[in-house]
Amino acid sequence: MPTSNITPTRSVLIELKKKVKVTKSGYKIIKMKRDGLIIEFFDVMKKVKAMHGSVTSDYEAAMTKIAIARAVEGEIAVKSAAYALKTEPHVKVSSKNIMGMTVPKIEANFKQVNLESKGYGVISTSAYIEEASNAFEKLLDTLIRAAEVEITMRKLLNEIEKTKRRVNAMEFKVIPELEESIAFVRFRLEEMDRESTIRLKFLKGKDKGEAA
Amino acid sequence: MFGHKAKGNYAYAVARVKAKKAYLIGNDTYQKMLLMSLPEISRYISECGYMKEITELTSKFDGVDLIEHATYMNMARVLRSILNSTNGELHDTLAKYLEKWDIWNLKVILRGKSFGLDADGIREDLIPAGNLDSTFLNKLVSLETGEEVLDHCKNIGKVIPVEVIETYNKENNLAIIEDFLDKYRYEQLLSSINPLSKPTQLYQDFIRREIDITNIETILKLKMEGVYGNNIMKYIIPGGKDISKKLVVRLANAETLSATVDDLAQLSFYEDIKEALDTNTKSLKDVMIGMKKYKMKKTQSFSYLHPLSIIPIIDYMIRKENEVNNIRIIARGIESGLDKDIIGGLLVI
Repeated sequence: MPTSNITPTRSVLIELKKKVKVTKSGYKIIKMKRDGLIIEFFDVMKKVKAMHGSVTSDYEAAMTKIAIARAVEGEIAVKSAAYALKTEPHVKVSSKNIMGMTVPKIEANFKQVNLESKGYGVISTSAYIEEASNAFEKLLDTLIRAAEVEITMRKLLNEIEKTKRRVNAMEFKVIPELEESIAFVRFRLEEMDRESTIRLKFLKGKDKGEAA
Repeated sequence: MFGHKAKGNYAYAVARVKAKKAYLIGNDTYQKMLLMSLPEISRYISECGYMKEITELTSKFDGVDLIEHATYMNMARVLRSILNSTNGELHDTLAKYLEKWDIWNLKVILRGKSFGLDADGIREDLIPAGNLDSTFLNKLVSLETGEEVLDHCKNIGKVIPVEVIETYNKENNLAIIEDFLDKYRYEQLLSSINPLSKPTQLYQDFIRREIDITNIETILKLKMEGVYGNNIMKYIIPGGKDISKKLVVRLANAETLSATVDDLAQLSFYEDIKEALDTNTKSLKDVMIGMKKYKMKKTQSFSYLHPLSIIPIIDYMIRKENEVNNIRIIARGIESGLDKDIIGGLLVI
């Protein structure tokens, strides 16, 4: 707030002092939030790293298994088995709160079904197709969980960046400006006090001179 | 004789099959094919008897899909030409054996219908190597629903029991129909063999061993998923050779895969799957390969016996199917970038 816009009165000084107090406590809270978010970010980052590993290994396993199934049983048999499947994966997206920040909560609304309930015959469907199907079910589950932590991590990064900007703005702009304004008002009030004391003294001297 | 069917033209059929057998790809050639690229494989198999199908399907498919569809089409034509060149009892026996492709096609149609696939999509995946010709299969494909398909199958003697249809309608699970069809096929096949002569006895033993292998595969697949007990028993096909009902019950009741090892050790093909069972308890891949190789070994062991019987013809049919499978394994494996050793391990030679 530029000092030229401030009226140097006691009520403004009180107002400014209140503002500084509130801003400083807000600053502390926001700083704590930033630190909390950073701690949370490191936790999520560990999870993301682990998930990346799982996604890579599950993907490689699934691709190898489907490649073997397509080779041994043929594309036609694999495609045909896929047509027989009667379960479809559904994803439920809701939200949860981390330090005032809304992050998505993604839940896979499906369970890994066993061979009996998949939809294709138990006797004739080969173990290669079944293993590939299980590997892809596992990969899908991992991908859904990975998507959740990945989005959470990105949202946390954005929030940390935003909070950091707020903390910096408070630390280097809002609070110093308020303190400067307080100093200005205080100085002006002292100056006004001094002026009125001198004025009073001058008037008193004048009165004494006239009386003499 | 009145009421008796002629035995069939064994001499002619066997002579035809022997001539065809000479054109099968040799085991050492697969190792050479492993080093080829997909276009090289296409070209090579064109020179080995697949030229007509490759040319015919070039406008429709390319790359590895062309190889897969062309080899299947060739196999279907070869098997049907053998079937059509036979007569009498021989024709009936072969027709029963090739019914597995009818069941395959029926499953493809039912799956396609349940998924909502269009007629062209379903037609693309059919392999008309069985008794049902393309005209009949096209008729089935053109029907609207799976129920209509099953209903139409009554015309060829495939009647699905009402209770099976009811369970299918209740649970909306095609597996019920598919499993019924598989069991039904083996029951029909076994009952069609009259094991009075040595060759038909050998043929019956071969089918019963196939049932054993299928049953063991089913047990192991379900064990991997944590299913045991009576839930397994309903998928067991009766009529196996080496595996008694008592042993099947014991295998089915074992709660884990490792608990079945002692019982499996009694089986004739245990040596072929022993290593795979010991090294990898999380995947059945190697066990399945072991059993396929065992089946092939068994076929080879009796293929030279009884030259004027059904044995050489069945042997050729198995070899032809195996050739098609091996070509596809190599082509698909190369296309997917699988390691040469893995592809080589998948081959049944």
